[in-house]
Amino acid sequence: MTNNSNIMISLRDINKTYPGAVPLHVLKDINLEIEKGELVSIMGASGSGKSTLLNILGILDNYDTGEYILNGVLVKNLSENRAAELRNRLIGFVFQSFNLINYKNAIENVALPLFYQGVSRRKRNKMAMEQLDRMGLADRAHHLPGEMSGGQKQRVAIARAIITNPSIILADEPTGALDSKTSHDVMNTFRELNNEGMTILIVTHDPGVGEQTNRIIRISDGMIVPDKKIVSAPLAVPENESLIVPGFADSGLVIPETPRIDV
Amino acid sequence: MFDLFREIFQALSNNKTRTTLTGLAVAWGIFMLIVLLGMSRGVTNGFQSRMTADNSRVISVFGGFTSKPYKGYKEGRRISPEDEDIKVIERDNRSNVERVTATKSLDSAKLSTSKDYVSDEVQGDFPNRLKEGRITMVNGRFLNQPDLDQERKVIVLSTQSAETLFGKNVNPVGRRVDAMGLSWLVIGVYRHDWDKSNYVPYTTAMRLSGNDGKVSDLTVKLYNVKSEADGMAVEEDVRHSLSKVHEFSPDDDSAVHLWNRFVQYLTQMKAMGILEMAVWVIGIFTLLSGIVGVSNIMFVSVRERTHEIGIRRAIGAKPRSILVQVVAESVVITTMFGYIGIVFGMMVTGLIDQLSKGVEFLENPTVDLSIAVKVTVVLVIAGALAGLFPAMKATKVKPVEALRDE
Repeated sequence: MTNNSNIMISLRDINKTYPGAVPLHVLKDINLEIEKGELVSIMGASGSGKSTLLNILGILDNYDTGEYILNGVLVKNLSENRAAELRNRLIGFVFQSFNLINYKNAIENVALPLFYQGVSRRKRNKMAMEQLDRMGLADRAHHLPGEMSGGQKQRVAIARAIITNPSIILADEPTGALDSKTSHDVMNTFRELNNEGMTILIVTHDPGVGEQTNRIIRISDGMIVPDKKIVSAPLAVPENESLIVPGFADSGLVIPETPRIDV
Repeated sequence: MFDLFREIFQALSNNKTRTTLTGLAVAWGIFMLIVLLGMSRGVTNGFQSRMTADNSRVISVFGGFTSKPYKGYKEGRRISPEDEDIKVIERDNRSNVERVTATKSLDSAKLSTSKDYVSDEVQGDFPNRLKEGRITMVNGRFLNQPDLDQERKVIVLSTQSAETLFGKNVNPVGRRVDAMGLSWLVIGVYRHDWDKSNYVPYTTAMRLSGNDGKVSDLTVKLYNVKSEADGMAVEEDVRHSLSKVHEFSPDDDSAVHLWNRFVQYLTQMKAMGILEMAVWVIGIFTLLSGIVGVSNIMFVSVRERTHEIGIRRAIGAKPRSILVQVVAESVVITTMFGYIGIVFGMMVTGLIDQLSKGVEFLENPTVDLSIAVKVTVVLVIAGALAGLFPAMKATKVKPVEALRDE
């Protein structure tokens, strides 16, 4: 166990097997450390185990063996209630399909995590309004998700993720349902949050997204491919380029290292 | 709490038609329960307006024939209650008998004035007949103790007799009628549903009938009796007292006939209790079909909202808050529509009340506040039960559901 207070996420020998007629060993001895204030992407093909890893990191699922420490808290064999509490206080989720509640307007959606903390309605609506304002959506506060564009919905979801001032934001393909322009805006939002010190972990199969993060963790066949840190700030990827690469990633091939990545 | 209700109303108004249709089944069940309870109340009230625990603490004694040989007497001997029995019963049963009164019927007597005459029963009685017989005085007063003590020749007429003898809208109090060769002073006129006797003081009647000591019946007023067992015990004691005086077997049930109105009252109260219980059972079973509907709809709703529940769980809802929300939704549906049922039920029972004025054995067939409170309790419990199983299913939703695409 590490006592380094600079470590946000620490995974030690994490194993996860889905039982069945043919047990599926999805995660094999995963070891990973993520520092506070990092902007990290996890990349891998479908079936590589990255979703399972995200579920474990998000305390949405259990692991079989190993040790997961999130911001100094050992996350292991938690009760449903304790897991819910930790999710509520430590983690902000951003999903591919936004996962807003469709009969609640933007401000109610953003305020929902605070409802489960027992924050008064007046106070949580005020806080939600501040976050929406920060996302440039103050004028959409009373709109239902159905009345908003994909980019707006995702920014509402980000506002919901950060309203509890979590330790980490876990984003699952946050740009998967967005066009390239909006994707770019959303990524910029993440980068801004990261500049303010927020630790952000993005699961994606889009290299264009991965390149906008400071570190790419590649996962393949349930194992982490030894990763490298990007030292220089990545350049903004031209749109035509980012349109080509996803198909490449979809083929399941490991993306070769580019000259920009410093060894 | 207010927040929870906001959540619930948002969720419910999300599916108005379905919520309404489901709720109607509950409203119908409650409506039936209220109407049935109202009717059963009406019957109970109708019964209680005739008989209360207080005015039913009475045993009436009538004559009979012995059915067993006893002390050398053959069976079939006639036994008549007598004036002397009053003192005997009072003396033997001080702990339970408040007082004993008697009536002496003078059979059909001709009452006449200068205007007209009637042939109606004239009955010698005690002042307490006024209260125990539920007689309403229209004019003047009823018999009193001095009337009896002085064997006054005074008479209380029924309204029917008074009208015939003196005409309508005439107050006969202070005027005189002739009967049995004597002139009687009219002291009052009374009204009663079916009693048409004309009352004279018991002592006067006894004297007129030739002092043979025989009376028509005895009325034993009880006190200190609470249960059916108490009532039965006093009845046996009274029979025992009479058996000694009249020399018949104490276990001879037909020598004298005892009408124990207290035991009868308790029996009827028991029957009313059973009636009301049956109504509750029928009503609740009617309600049950509505409740099953609510439960069903809650299952559908939980299934439909699996993804939403997953999102809520992912952003920090504990299983308990999901459980509370589903149960509360169910309780809100049932109580809200239940109240619609209560209101309509009360309107209908009110209407029945208006239409049934004067109908015998149906009095004020409406439900009161205590029933409304009981029904509310039933609704909340029913709603909670209806929501419980779907809610338990909802808590089984894993937060990972949030990550699945819809």
